[in-house]
Amino acid sequence: MNILTEPRSMSRFSTGKVALFIILASESVFFATMLVAYISLRNQTVWPVQHTLGRLTIPLANTAILLVSTIAAWRATVSIREEKTSALNGWLLSALLLGLVFVTGQVYEFSHAGMHTNDQAFGGVFFTLMGFHGLHVLSGVVFLIINLARARLGDFSPTDHDAIVLGTWFWYYVAAVWIVLFAALYLL
Amino acid sequence: MTVQTQIISKMREATQGGFLSWTVTVDHKRIGILYLLSASLFFLVGGFEALLMRIQLAQPDGKFLSPDMYNQIFTMHGTTMIFLVVMPLAAGFGNYLIPLMIGARDMAFPKLNALSYWTFLFGGVFMYSSFIFGGAPNDGWFSYAPLTEKLYSPTHGMDFWIMGILLLGFATTIGSINFIVTVIQLRAPGLTLTRLPLFVWTMTVTSFLAVFSLPSLTTAVLLLFLDRQLGAHFYNVGQGGSALLWQHLFWFFGHPEVYILILPAMGIVSEVIPVFSGKPLFGYPAVVFSAIAIGFLGFTVWAHHMFATGMPSATLLFFAADSFLIGVPTGVKIFAWLATMWKGKLRFATPMLFAVGFVAMFLIGGLDGIHLAVVPVDWQLTDTYYVVSHLHYVLFGGAIFGIFSGVYYWFPKITGRRLQEGLGKWHFWLMFIGMNLVFMPMHILGVEGMPRRIYTYGAGRGWEIWNFIETIGALIITVSVLIFVVNFFASLRKEANNEADPWDGFTLEWKTASPPPVYNFAEIPSVRGRRPLWDEKHPDLADWKVGK
Repeated sequence: MNILTEPRSMSRFSTGKVALFIILASESVFFATMLVAYISLRNQTVWPVQHTLGRLTIPLANTAILLVSTIAAWRATVSIREEKTSALNGWLLSALLLGLVFVTGQVYEFSHAGMHTNDQAFGGVFFTLMGFHGLHVLSGVVFLIINLARARLGDFSPTDHDAIVLGTWFWYYVAAVWIVLFAALYLL
Repeated sequence: MTVQTQIISKMREATQGGFLSWTVTVDHKRIGILYLLSASLFFLVGGFEALLMRIQLAQPDGKFLSPDMYNQIFTMHGTTMIFLVVMPLAAGFGNYLIPLMIGARDMAFPKLNALSYWTFLFGGVFMYSSFIFGGAPNDGWFSYAPLTEKLYSPTHGMDFWIMGILLLGFATTIGSINFIVTVIQLRAPGLTLTRLPLFVWTMTVTSFLAVFSLPSLTTAVLLLFLDRQLGAHFYNVGQGGSALLWQHLFWFFGHPEVYILILPAMGIVSEVIPVFSGKPLFGYPAVVFSAIAIGFLGFTVWAHHMFATGMPSATLLFFAADSFLIGVPTGVKIFAWLATMWKGKLRFATPMLFAVGFVAMFLIGGLDGIHLAVVPVDWQLTDTYYVVSHLHYVLFGGAIFGIFSGVYYWFPKITGRRLQEGLGKWHFWLMFIGMNLVFMPMHILGVEGMPRRIYTYGAGRGWEIWNFIETIGALIITVSVLIFVVNFFASLRKEANNEADPWDGFTLEWKTASPPPVYNFAEIPSVRGRRPLWDEKHPDLADWKVGK
């Protein structure tokens, strides 16, 4: 712990957790304003404007993949708490691989969406929302990769593994945002 | 020295000596100074732009600036003063003072702190570089769509604005997260939230406002960027977009932004007035609660900037009533400041002059705001000079006066020297007279119908005399700022006397040396009341003993 910035007794949470809470709250406003922009545009014009997002196979599969990966991330935090190091590595690796599969699915969706950003408002909405979510998935994957590297170096212990918990929370958040976006863009 | 302070001094050694060490420093005090100095330079630039506009408007049919140049200059004046002056000045004070006021050794994330400063500086320089690369942004600081679309603004000015805003928004967001986490995590033992100095409180509320309102601006400018660069149609009505969408997204940020600009100044004044009245702040809980209430209400009044867009009358009513409501917590603060001064042992040193000037000028600006919240009045006055008058009473008479109060108050802490009182008083009175000469006649011009943002006007409308007076006022403000610059350098050349507590202060920053050592406090202080240093200096009259 850094002696410059060690937390005082008044807070029950680690400094990293407090910071992540606030970052995610701020991110939520970003996604919320994006969604409000989408819904308000949708309410005032003929909608949906032609697009080929009728097929739900890949997005549904992607939803399942992301949900399974959150379970893997959750198991990782349980493993380190119980000091099962090899299980921790395994769960982290599976969570991040599933994340990469998800991104691959999204790339396929993007290339087969049958529209562009300049095809009326919906194209812009779709690529912007999904694009930003995709960037969050990639950030989450990077987070998990760093955690995996640190885990292999033996950086974590049952009492000191804040980064694992933070990475998992971030991963839950990415999945939760996906569910909202999936419902808004494909099902609504 | 304790072991801890020795370790910290050793750790920070590499970043403390020589000029280049300023580029790698992560010390909150040095980053605070960097913020204050950079923002002051931008203040001179933004002020120069204002002077150019006033010279252009001094007489009818002015030829001093071309219409195109005038558009660029008023856009950059607004953008500069908001994003590159008032916000970073608040961040500078926050960086320097929050760890000292809460008895901490640094911010929670020192490296992130440095990142936020350099991103801000780069964003500002980047935006100004647009003058070299084919023209600055020229659509006003709120950049209404569809004027900002590529079709109507074909130069790269708007692209510079968008990228600059994204950088500055990023800098402010991470800076604000740092403030919030610092205040939550690093308070000294005993420093509960009900004992927190008012400046720390208002900076915390400001940081929450920034964290929750800036994403809306990010969304707005990103969508604009996609429209301009990738041919999307978010603001293009013909293709299923909406021009009003920009206004909603922008003002959902823009109104909380107003409080982001004013709350830190309110915090400064709430520190200065009690010290120079020799009394604790009157109604501390009410003042804190009103800051929080302003924070919440600030998110619910954005559409009062849009009364002229033809919204349904129920919406108009809601936003009008809500805007009246936000006057209440602001009024609570004004009464608390007055009651603090009531029967106090008043000392009118320069910090106090600016603080009292703040209260008076902010009151005028606030009352103008109440006028504009009345929908039919707003229909008449919107986009006239009345609005310009309102926002400058709030942001110049308010934010800038508050900040100057803070500059005179904390300069001895930062440099170990006081600013000269005589020059300080000249600075205050000239600035006070100058600003009233500039902005008071704008009320009349507004009622007479002079629109804002016109580069010139014809003779014979009765506008000449007021515009001429305003330009004289602008010149007086210029003189006052030059006096401040002279005072600044002259005071720095004096020998330091390093008084730790020159004003007989109440809060922890005056407990340590001036300037403070790298580790701030040899021992982390513990706190038993709202005025820890007063308690220490007057053990028999300590607040916690006499039950205040």
